[in-house]
Amino acid sequence: MHFYQDPQFGERMITLMAALVLVLQIAMVAQRWLVTNIRVFAAQSFLLAGIATTIAYFNNAPHIYFVAVLTIVVKVIFLPVLMERLVVKIELRQEIKPLINVPLSVLISGALTILGYVVAESFYHPEAGTTPATLGHNTLAVAIALFLIGFFMMLNRRKALTQVIALLSLENGLFLAAISLTYGMPLVVELGVFFDLLVASMVLGILVYRIRETFDSVDVSKLRRLRG
Amino acid sequence: MIATVVSIALQLSLVLLLSPLVSGIIKTLKARLQTRRGPGILQPYRELHKLLRKGMVIPESASWIFSAAPIVVFSTAALVSLMIPMISAAAPLSLFGGVLAVVYLLGLGRFFLALGGLDTGTPFGGLGSSREMTISALAEPAMMLAIFTVALSANSTNLSEVAHSAIGQSWRFLAPSQVLAFAALFIVLIAETGRIPVDNPATHLELTMIHEAMILEYSGPYLALIEWGAWIKQLILMTLLINTFYPFGLSTDMGLLNLATGCASYLLKLLFLSALVVLVETTNAKIRLFRVPELLAVAFVLGALALISTFLF
Repeated sequence: MHFYQDPQFGERMITLMAALVLVLQIAMVAQRWLVTNIRVFAAQSFLLAGIATTIAYFNNAPHIYFVAVLTIVVKVIFLPVLMERLVVKIELRQEIKPLINVPLSVLISGALTILGYVVAESFYHPEAGTTPATLGHNTLAVAIALFLIGFFMMLNRRKALTQVIALLSLENGLFLAAISLTYGMPLVVELGVFFDLLVASMVLGILVYRIRETFDSVDVSKLRRLRG
Repeated sequence: MIATVVSIALQLSLVLLLSPLVSGIIKTLKARLQTRRGPGILQPYRELHKLLRKGMVIPESASWIFSAAPIVVFSTAALVSLMIPMISAAAPLSLFGGVLAVVYLLGLGRFFLALGGLDTGTPFGGLGSSREMTISALAEPAMMLAIFTVALSANSTNLSEVAHSAIGQSWRFLAPSQVLAFAALFIVLIAETGRIPVDNPATHLELTMIHEAMILEYSGPYLALIEWGAWIKQLILMTLLINTFYPFGLSTDMGLLNLATGCASYLLKLLFLSALVVLVETTNAKIRLFRVPELLAVAFVLGALALISTFLF
């Protein structure tokens, strides 16, 4: 048996990629530049596609390959390009101004990660051993942490577009949880989720543009005033 | 006994000779990546040669601390370099506390360097010392957390034992805790050696310099000692990174063939890490001093996560 057919090896690769996904999520919290943020999101999605491919390979589940390809097309290529165009189009200021300063937000993300670990611990059974079927179970903690940090990022940011990025990274957490626990939901569900995401992002993109047109700013705190 | 003395002598001479070369390689690679010719990789040796021959100017207001600082900086760095495994997994010296001694002996050197900067009473020295201490105070927790992660998985703070246990577990470097600890320690390396996102080693601009501001009053042999000490410290941190996380090729005995492979793989790994440092230095702009804590907060959180994930994955 080659080492690349050993579930142990797959387990390590998945854990490694999940750790990198987490690092990128924290990098997103710490990064102030909007365009870099979008690219970090693309890199994160690419790693998720890698995790999906690994799980598909070890479980012989071709429909997960499809999900991985879909992830690359939608989240690594299409959405980042769309968002970068939007940034250019509405001449957004590049710098993100979070509500809570960066060191503190990073520390809060660290605390949220610990929370994710604590929650996921009860689901983790190392004594079950490593078979293709249990591959990636230990990434549930990372998935929960991604979800929590994404949520925190949404609360922490003022501009609509940065909130969209936070929402997408939150969805990455959901995707990781789904794929690590169930080796991919039925294809129909996945397709539905992707389509949903695509439409939501496009609608949000148009919304951001309209907000900018009407209010001369994409700061959502200014949305309280009525305009004719 | 004789074996220990021989290995100490060998490692010391290796460190003393190699550390300027690493600095030269980094400078040349950086120049080439920016399509400049660069000074050549032997330039640090020429600098040392020049500085050691020159006379010194010692400020009138300087006390004995001014003269003691370069010696303390150099000798602590040289002592520490004997305590880390470089080519063979067994380091020539292992003092109390292993890696803790490494970190805090380097801390002692830095403390004296900062005192030396303050001693002459010039505003630049004080400014440099204050900045250096701020940054190192922030970098230290991150470094300790990353090191504890490694020590925890080896059940020992002794660096030789850490290297031995790392050799024993072949895929360990892929474990998330190790990756996170590596990332944290890499940021610390950038901060401690004063590389670009944190400090620019190639400038004497008043507003931004940190290390250079501290040693502005030094000249001649003292400056040579400080620079050499800084290069050794850089080599130590790089060795710590490559040999505790990627111990490939470290020889576990004293056979000649094993030592030769150890030496070759060590140099290769060093070259890789230098290239990585150069890449980071060239693709990043120097960040504002007030943004440095943000970078180090990231390192701290990475270190903390590394420590936590050793218990969970």
